[in-house]
Amino acid sequence: MIKFKNVSVTYPGGVKALDDVSLEIEEGDFLIIVGMSGAGKSTLLRTVNNLVKPTNGEVLVDSKNVTNANKRELKEIRSDIGMIFQTFNLVNRSSVLKNVLTGRLSQVSTIRSILGLWPQEDKQIAFEALNKVEILEKAYVRGSNLSGGQQQRVGIARALAQKPKVMLADEPVASLDPITSRVVMKYLKEINQELGITTIVNLHFLDLAKEFGERLIGLKEGKLVYDGKVGDVSDQDFENIYGRAIKASDMLGNDD
Amino acid sequence: MNIPKQPISQKVLKYLLTILIVAASIWSASGLEVTPERFFEAPSKIWILITAMFPLDLSSEAIERIVPKVGESLFIAWAGTVIGALFSFPISFLAANNVTFNVLNRFTKQILNIIRAFPELILAFVFLPITGLGPLTGTLAVGIHSIGTLGKLSSEVIEGIDEGPLEAIKASGGSKISELLFGVIPQVMPTVVSYWLYRFEINLRASAVLGVVGAGGVGAELINQLRFRDFPRAGTVLVVTIAMVLIVDTISAAIRKRIIKGRDIKV
Amino acid sequence: MMINIPKKPKPSLLSVLGYPFAFLFSIYSFFQIGFNLEDFRRNLQNRRLVTDPLFDPKWEWAVENATAALIETIQIAILASILGCFIALPLSFYASRATNQTTITYYIYKSFLNFIRTIPDLFWAMLFTVAVGLGPFAGVLALIMFSMAIMGKLLSETIDSIDLGPLEAAKSSGAKHNQAVFSSALPQILPNFTAYFLYIFELCIRASVILGLVGAGGVGRIIETQRIFLRFDRISPIIVLILFAVIAIEQFSVWLRRKIL
Repeated sequence: MIKFKNVSVTYPGGVKALDDVSLEIEEGDFLIIVGMSGAGKSTLLRTVNNLVKPTNGEVLVDSKNVTNANKRELKEIRSDIGMIFQTFNLVNRSSVLKNVLTGRLSQVSTIRSILGLWPQEDKQIAFEALNKVEILEKAYVRGSNLSGGQQQRVGIARALAQKPKVMLADEPVASLDPITSRVVMKYLKEINQELGITTIVNLHFLDLAKEFGERLIGLKEGKLVYDGKVGDVSDQDFENIYGRAIKASDMLGNDD
Repeated sequence: MNIPKQPISQKVLKYLLTILIVAASIWSASGLEVTPERFFEAPSKIWILITAMFPLDLSSEAIERIVPKVGESLFIAWAGTVIGALFSFPISFLAANNVTFNVLNRFTKQILNIIRAFPELILAFVFLPITGLGPLTGTLAVGIHSIGTLGKLSSEVIEGIDEGPLEAIKASGGSKISELLFGVIPQVMPTVVSYWLYRFEINLRASAVLGVVGAGGVGAELINQLRFRDFPRAGTVLVVTIAMVLIVDTISAAIRKRIIKGRDIKV
Repeated sequence: MMINIPKKPKPSLLSVLGYPFAFLFSIYSFFQIGFNLEDFRRNLQNRRLVTDPLFDPKWEWAVENATAALIETIQIAILASILGCFIALPLSFYASRATNQTTITYYIYKSFLNFIRTIPDLFWAMLFTVAVGLGPFAGVLALIMFSMAIMGKLLSETIDSIDLGPLEAAKSSGAKHNQAVFSSALPQILPNFTAYFLYIFELCIRASVILGLVGAGGVGRIIETQRIFLRFDRISPIIVLILFAVIAIEQFSVWLRRKIL
């Protein structure tokens, strides 16, 4: 489903964020990427929808070349890829519903969307997405009036509304408490299992990675240093990925 | 015991500033022949003027002359603000450094600065020979000046938005236009609209004054009454103007507060 | 699939009434102003009366005759903004709930500041020329009112949102109310005061250009007399000089703001 072919990314300042990463992800996989801050997790994720363009190598999604796609092709590819962010990225002043509907933008004509004349079909898709994350009743509430966990659920609904084939989650729970984090991870897992959406999640909490992951990828200084099943991962493996001993801050823990 | 000394540069700066302010005041006062005596005498003279205005001239003749003029100021202010809002909105995007490229936005900003620098009255001056005496000139003057100020303020709002939602829209396949319409505009509208309303409040005062050069509004009335020493009538003009300004200010402030706060929907 | 779709909330009273009202009122206003496309186009022919002399500036004349008035304009702005702002400083503390618990005086000061705000600067100028006579003194008084009004509003709102902690601490150590305010509240707002002062100073320069129109001093008088004779060739250099002065002062205040804040 997703193929990374010798992907390297060097930022203008000279920083090498990714170093010759090659990886294949099957359809329906649930993949978790761990690594220190700055190891290249965000960058790797963003090469999938070309928010970051690799300086070398290419990425293929569903056999389509994302890296070299032209504008129109890129938009089409992106509409099949849903993304959720650490900072949720909701439009605070808009209602939950309006935020989720922005996931349908690529399918609705510009004029209709401006005038707010969303086709009933698209509205239904939005409502169902909200229902999936159990936040349907808040459809008309303003984004900023929700808690962090609720906002992230809206983010997931927005991505779901795209009816995507791939789901990218960039540190989705980094700013959430332990209970809410597990709720969000649970939704992501359910969506992956029930709808077969290929899912990649960046995490820096190791216990969460072990709890929810199936396949685990470790990045260190831009290089792929681990690729294996979650069940096979040992503490030593984690220390290799991080290049140091595990600290308490690497664990999410539980609410005491 | 080592008591640290207050850093010299701070102390020096404070002294310099104080001296600067005092010196500037003295230089100005002497140049204008303004003495402390005149300040002491002023309140009593003002009081004489105020008492001369009461009782106010509330004859129907006076009301018939004054109220339409005050209304005219209202219309000029409103129409001018509408012109300002409509034109400044698209221009503010051109002037925002996160929307357009460098040369264009700097150029637009400079043009806005130049427009802003001219007080409405000066603009009214320039338009008078062209558009003649009357409220149209006032509206143009107020409108164009408003484009300048609103343009600058709105562009600053645009520059201060959260780029996150824009990234989300881009990631889901949205176009640049979608980013603008669904990411930028919902974020900036409340603040921008409250700026429009605030501008209306200020324009109301400006348009009251424009009458002095014959560009419509109640200013001409006031200055005529004062010249003819008809103080009661002048007092009426003042009172009616103040009343209108107060009413508009209060309503506008309430609306602005509501726009910024937003509605609470309980679920 | 059956799911419970929530009801769309009714649009607020403001949006139902507000938008149509604004739209209709706008059309009404334009009518009242008597915007006539024909007249407008005809009058536009006159524009050369303005634009021709406008672009033929008579610099020598301007420098000879207007410099003194320009300096007068700037002096009015300096004196008025300094006096007005510094008078407004204590007044603002009285007009803020945070530093003035006495309800009666709070309302008195707050109403006073609000009242001053409602009268446009030129109106003040007109009144003062009648009360204290023509000339720049009237202008100074008018702009003092102008500065007090703006500084009063801005500063009292700032004081409303200061951190009350230091104030409480000072009072609990036995300081009298005024002492506490001076030592704990005043320093908090000094950066804002300075920023507002510079802003008001700029506004005063622009305002004082116009004062001359009603005989309250400054270069406005000269501009008015020249305008009546359509001598825009003399007005344009004056305006350019004013522009330079305004921009120069703006740059200076930006530099100053960066230095001290």
